Amino acid sequence: MHLTRRDFLELAVITGAYLTADPVGALAKMTSEDILSFKSKGKVTLLFTTDMHAHLKPLYFMEPMNLVAPKKLKGLPGYLTGPDFLKYYRINPNTLEAYFGSCVNFPELAEKFGKMGGGEYIATVIKSVIAERGRENVLVLDGGDTWVTTAIGLFTEGKAIVDWMNLVGYDIMVAHWEFTLGKETFLKRIKELKAEFISQNIVEEDFGDLVFKPYTIREVGGAKLGIVGNSFPYTPIANPRQFTEGWSFGIREEQLQEFVNELREEHKVDAVILLSHDGLPLDMALAKKVKGIDIIISGHTHDVTPKPVFVNNTMIVIAGSHGKYVGRLDLDIKKGRIRDYSFKLIPVASNILKPDKEVQKFIKEVYKPYEKKLSEKIGVAETLIYKRDTFYSTFDRLAGEAIKDYYHGVDIVFSPGYRWGTTIIPGQEITVDHVYDFTAITYPDVHVFKMKGKHLKLILEDIADNVFNPNPFYQQGGDMSRVIGMEYEIEINGPQYNRIRNITVGGKPFNPEKEYVIAAYGGNLHRSEFSEEIKDAKPVPVYEILIDYIKKKRNIKVDTKPNVKVLDESYRTSC
Amino acid sequence: MMNRRDLIKLMGAGMVMATTSPLVTISHASEVEKKFKKHVGVPMSKVKDGSSLIKLKTPTIAETGANVPVAIDSKVPVEEVEWLMIFVDNNPVPRVIKVHLTPMNGKVYFATRIKMAKTSNVRAIIKKKDGTYLQAFKEVKVTIGGCG
Repeated sequence: MHLTRRDFLELAVITGAYLTADPVGALAKMTSEDILSFKSKGKVTLLFTTDMHAHLKPLYFMEPMNLVAPKKLKGLPGYLTGPDFLKYYRINPNTLEAYFGSCVNFPELAEKFGKMGGGEYIATVIKSVIAERGRENVLVLDGGDTWVTTAIGLFTEGKAIVDWMNLVGYDIMVAHWEFTLGKETFLKRIKELKAEFISQNIVEEDFGDLVFKPYTIREVGGAKLGIVGNSFPYTPIANPRQFTEGWSFGIREEQLQEFVNELREEHKVDAVILLSHDGLPLDMALAKKVKGIDIIISGHTHDVTPKPVFVNNTMIVIAGSHGKYVGRLDLDIKKGRIRDYSFKLIPVASNILKPDKEVQKFIKEVYKPYEKKLSEKIGVAETLIYKRDTFYSTFDRLAGEAIKDYYHGVDIVFSPGYRWGTTIIPGQEITVDHVYDFTAITYPDVHVFKMKGKHLKLILEDIADNVFNPNPFYQQGGDMSRVIGMEYEIEINGPQYNRIRNITVGGKPFNPEKEYVIAAYGGNLHRSEFSEEIKDAKPVPVYEILIDYIKKKRNIKVDTKPNVKVLDESYRTSC
Repeated sequence: MMNRRDLIKLMGAGMVMATTSPLVTISHASEVEKKFKKHVGVPMSKVKDGSSLIKLKTPTIAETGANVPVAIDSKVPVEEVEWLMIFVDNNPVPRVIKVHLTPMNGKVYFATRIKMAKTSNVRAIIKKKDGTYLQAFKEVKVTIGGCG
């Protein structure tokens, strides 16, 4: 089917499937008060966001259909998706909560409830809670992945979001993708940032000295809180090393334990909080090893925890991604003990909440120089275009097709397993901004190189172990790299470095000795010792290739069938 | 094409991100056993689990295989210890270092940086003066990485 925009509109009238022109009417039952309603407790309030990925503007973002887990971790928070997520948290389908937290009926609910997140709506939530509780009783935290990976983040080198955070009133943060601005810019930005940047797990490579303050102590609502920071432990491996040259990261759990003890014994804090970009599965494992942390506010894996997870005596929460939620945790603390708490992930529903006028004006100003370029309509989505999944997404297929179209003779395209991006619903116009939402990185070039089949397999096995190792301490983060042009089967619980079977390339049997032509972006692959660069294939930023391809095709229809077959776990292909 | 030697050189100059070959070919258990006996002097079965007495500090995932920090800290009194060894199963030469200790060392502590060819168990082995052996080990992954 080849739908034009007009066809679609006609179809939409018939099926009623289009963005309602009157969101107020459609959402008459839901009010801003409902969204913000909260049973407050004690005097201390923690507000937190994470992994906003520089989305100052509201967006659609569908939670993944799959988060395939190794057996040991199956069914745990961090690996719950779709109907399983709704069942676990007892959320009724087709509600606002279901729309924000699962992929079930996403395109339909997107039309009903509208876009999520957005800087002026997050500001509304934070400011209204501060107004209710009093500034001295509220601490505003951010878990990182906040400044970059959209056009506005990239073009302003994170400055737009730093200014936004200052305007909203953030107190403390940790980081990950922020480091890909490069050391110099990163250090400049944290000086501009009014919030305090903390991290106990970044040290100088030579003598192991701390680069940043490891923790901070704040009096909030009459309680003394010790907040320790963990930035993403695998930043130098997951992202190009040159950005953090001379710094060493890691989990550093022994050192973390020492800081927790120091806060308790020397500073006599009432509660210890870990603000982390470790990822939920790793933080759940970490809570078993490190004693004395009361609360972990997690980030990185974009999980949504409508209820806290408890591991021994540690409460763990994580507030999703892309600005979809503001976490609110009220604490009743007396004499070094948390006596009671109240928790909610507040959905930032942009059609229901009122925008904060000051912040709205600021965002408009910030976008002004880029608005014309970014709002250009370059095509129409005929398929749901999404990014997040364990193995496959329609965005990655589209990127693969565009790259193959640009560089002739490419056998396989590697697209990185990032968790961030956006979602474009069928019938929606694709803008330049959308393309950047999926690809705005500081190292965007597509590299073309040759590699022998056996080495390719070796690298896939390596990546698979980084995703499916049953011990979260050995997972490096990210979903599986996408390989377009190649098909394979995988045994998730198979032996380390021996999970992948029955590879075919373009439908033909895989040959370990053959040299395949590979195009890749967003990773380290072209620099591996097995890669032989093809000199006459000039590296080009992936967003430029995509923009041109979408303009050329106009109507974007993508195969929704994954190229990966999971042998020993269930794998959804629709939601 | 960049050969292995160039790569290591580049790494030394700090130009390249972590990429020694990620492990895929794990040495066979029997091969490790053979090497272990050769370097340690006794079969692995004669070495007791010392994980409660030896603290082996090293990352679970190395930032680069070219430079992996390892620290060993043991509660075993230094007077009782003859030597300490770092043994990396999958390195071409698994015996990385053997440190003879005397009471002058004060305690059993040793920290260094090692090179690892690929994912492997890293072992800290202690030979006591009474002829018994203890070990603690931890898997350290060497990976090409690259997803965010």
